[in-house]
Amino acid sequence: MPGRGKLIAVIGDEDTCTGFLLGGIGELNKNRKPNFLVVEKDTSITEIEETFKSFLARNDIGIILINQFIAEMIRHAIDGHMESIPAVLEIPSKEHPYDASKDSILRRAKGMFCAEDFR
Amino acid sequence: MRDQNICLDEQLLLFMDQLEALEEKRHKLNSLIEGGWFSIAKARYSMGNKQVSSLQYASEMEPLVHVEDSLMESGTVEFKCNRAENKTDELTQNNSIEDIGAKEGGLRRRINTKQKEDKEEGASEQQETDHQGKTKTESTTPENRDPLKWFGILVPQNLKQAQSAFREVITLSAEIASIQSAILASRKEMQAQMKEKQEKSGKTKPEIIKD
Repeated sequence: MPGRGKLIAVIGDEDTCTGFLLGGIGELNKNRKPNFLVVEKDTSITEIEETFKSFLARNDIGIILINQFIAEMIRHAIDGHMESIPAVLEIPSKEHPYDASKDSILRRAKGMFCAEDFR
Repeated sequence: MRDQNICLDEQLLLFMDQLEALEEKRHKLNSLIEGGWFSIAKARYSMGNKQVSSLQYASEMEPLVHVEDSLMESGTVEFKCNRAENKTDELTQNNSIEDIGAKEGGLRRRINTKQKEDKEEGASEQQETDHQGKTKTESTTPENRDPLKWFGILVPQNLKQAQSAFREVITLSAEIASIQSAILASRKEMQAQMKEKQEKSGKTKPEIIKD
């Protein structure tokens, strides 16, 4: 894998995953582990968090795309990830439009301009 | 002190520019994704409810897109999207050559079995058959690699439109990831400069607060 570059992983609802897999990012590795997670109504938060952490631990993943409403469920795990690789990107979902004020990167950037920084 | 202030101002302007670029790309990404979903919904309407779902995903998947990450001197990571379309062409060309070779190998093996039946020959045969097997599997993969074929041979145009929309989204998401990384690096740099400035100015309050 090192010569071919890294993968893009997706955690999202069915349509988001279907779209990105149509785009050609899907992979099932030798251990039959996919680089995507289709989140359905009965998917538990623990499962989402574990999958997210397993994606972070994999060194063949460069970018993790996650629906913002799912990111909200595991916000503590996303905020705890400070490394630049893999990059975590919050994307909108069909029922939940993108809200910049919830994005972890933009919230960090916003933190630059709070009063505490100027003291 | 003045130089430091200018440097800090420049850094702040750069930071603002990066935020603006991010906003712009985000807007584009959101509208592209929306278009993609709309096309998927249209395809679902014409194909049937369960024809475009996670049940149709193939049991074997190979990624057609890879991202190359390169760490820059400034500490930012740049992501570059690489699509394997050219590679598939190369693969098909290679396979056609390999197929011819495999056929010749098959003929040669038949003659060999008639002439000699040594164990060594048997071993080499095994290697050849293994090689044939590999070429066969390789030759089947590039054709089946297009995810559109998971959903049927004659898929509606909408699904193709959805695919092209999401392809663009993937390229755009690599660009956004690079900008995000640059923003975080700028933020770190600004914080360091701010700290340095505060240390130099001692315990006196910065000018912004005084004003």
